[in-house]
Amino acid sequence: MSRAWLAVFAAVILLPLAVRHAIASEIWIFAIFGLGLNLLLGYTGLLSFGQSTFFGSAGYVSGYLLKHYGINVFAALGIGVLVGAVSAALVGYLCVQRSGLYFIMLTFALNQMFYFIAYQWTTVTGGEDGMPGIGRPVLLGVDFRQPLAYYIFVALLFLVSLWVMKRIVESPLGKILQAIRENEVRAQAVGYDGARLKLLAFVIGGAFSGLAGVLYAMLFGIVPLEAIGFVFSGNVVFATLIGGSGSLYGPIVGSFVFIWLSESVSVVWARWPLLLGVAFVIVVIFFRGGCVEAWARFWSWRERRRMATRLAS
Amino acid sequence: MALLRTENVTKAFGALTAVNGVSLEVEAGSLHSIIGPNGAGKTTLFNLFTGQLTPTSGRIVFDGRDITGTPSHRVAHLGIARSFQRTNVFPALSLLDNVWIAAFARRGSWRGFAWRRADRYPEVTERALAALRDVGLQDRANQLAREISHGEQRQLELAIALAAAPRLLLLDEPAAGLSPDETQRMVALVRGLKGRYTIVLIEHKMDIIMGVSDRVSVMHFGSLIAEGTPAEIQRNADVQRAYLGGVVVE
Ligand SMILES: Nc1ncnc2c1ncn2[C@@H]1O[C@H](COP(=O)(O)OP(=O)(O)OP(=O)(O)O)[C@@H](O)[C@H]1O
Ligand SMILES: [Mg+2]
Repeated sequence: MSRAWLAVFAAVILLPLAVRHAIASEIWIFAIFGLGLNLLLGYTGLLSFGQSTFFGSAGYVSGYLLKHYGINVFAALGIGVLVGAVSAALVGYLCVQRSGLYFIMLTFALNQMFYFIAYQWTTVTGGEDGMPGIGRPVLLGVDFRQPLAYYIFVALLFLVSLWVMKRIVESPLGKILQAIRENEVRAQAVGYDGARLKLLAFVIGGAFSGLAGVLYAMLFGIVPLEAIGFVFSGNVVFATLIGGSGSLYGPIVGSFVFIWLSESVSVVWARWPLLLGVAFVIVVIFFRGGCVEAWARFWSWRERRRMATRLAS
Repeated sequence: MALLRTENVTKAFGALTAVNGVSLEVEAGSLHSIIGPNGAGKTTLFNLFTGQLTPTSGRIVFDGRDITGTPSHRVAHLGIARSFQRTNVFPALSLLDNVWIAAFARRGSWRGFAWRRADRYPEVTERALAALRDVGLQDRANQLAREISHGEQRQLELAIALAAAPRLLLLDEPAAGLSPDETQRMVALVRGLKGRYTIVLIEHKMDIIMGVSDRVSVMHFGSLIAEGTPAEIQRNADVQRAYLGGVVVE
């Protein structure tokens, strides 16, 4: 097993000892959300500014079914994944033909459209008040209202998500998406239908967002209107860039930094987004690869120094 | 038998007719060169063959099949591979991945492509490594494409085309921007490919063409002005004029 996986397992076990269970759960949920985005952002080179469309849609649909029909947890998750994937297919279909700024603006605009639907459709979504009263059902005798039980559930799903995403990025598809990012014209010339493969990346990313959206709704018992808003879409981009979009593990690190800052520091200092801004500026100027790159550079610097001192003596 | 045939292919960009009524036959197994001064329409012709562009009129037939207007990713699956005049690789990927991607595209089956680990396709990796060997880059398989020299990138450009195991290989000025030494090596490389593939070679340096070609077509202002064996072309007065008439002298 690789060092990265050991670190992830250690974090899963130690995290609930360090912070409140709700925050710990949120970190992994946000990490799943980030994994989905990063397939688009890091691997395919598509800056989607509308990921909360899929996150929120899944939250609303599964939340509604949980609330009014008391469906099974796994059914809720499955439906959430499906809603995430289908809404991403819809948005992706409209977006993949564009590129650059047009692409970004279109993901954003469609996100706004979904937001206004949720805002207006108060009978279902509750509009500005959100959709409260979403329970966490009992499953196989385990009561998920227990914060720790729910944390374990979320953490396990996160590990499964990470494993699935690892398989995807290490498969031919992972290479092909990177090739499209690097040079779409050449990728087409060697035989890949760029638009269709980008759409596939959207659908997979949407499925991950959908899973995260349902877990989020069950964690807080509510789907707030913000869950489908552009700030949420921006946050996941922010977190992923801070963590490092060039690596599979970047979004996980980003989720830690982001949720920890927003949940801990925001309590003592209301202007915490300022700190986030500073972190972001540091990343953009010094470490385009985010925390993961900074970490790798630190290690290679240490290695070089050790080498140098050994040579000197 | 002609593997590739064009009938009166024309491509206009607004008022500019870049390719004008070109009818051409490329025999299977031959090396057919297309020469012509800058802006003659050679690259545009390739873009039409491979579906990057759609002709304004005319037909393109590959192996008895009309491929006029077929999108480029589908043309690739039919077995037409090209190299580009301006290096067009995947900069942040390793050389092996650059060719691996091209080799995988021609596999025919997509089974497990989003799930099975890429290193579990030994036949694809084998073909990718063979393509790197063909151009002499096997020792740099793990380097990134953006880290190698311009000359080596030209070799990689060729390897990407070879990795697709093409039935028709289109080479667009493989020696563009190379030093005299590198040009010599590239010419030797192309000579080595002759006979193994059906090749269409664009080049505007006469001396390179004459040694390797079976047939030569000459393009000038979008039209074919001559076709024949290298010796015939060398004697042709129209060609002399196109080349020496002040348009381009290499
Ligand atoms: N996409 C395009 N849109 C508009 N004009 C184009 C386009 N592509 C090529 N042209 C024009 O068509 C003409 C032929 O260009 P082309 O690149 O085919 O020439 P070429 O024979 O390959 O020349 P060179 O030897 O310089 O590579 C040129 O005048 C060029 O400016
Ligand atoms: Mg050209």
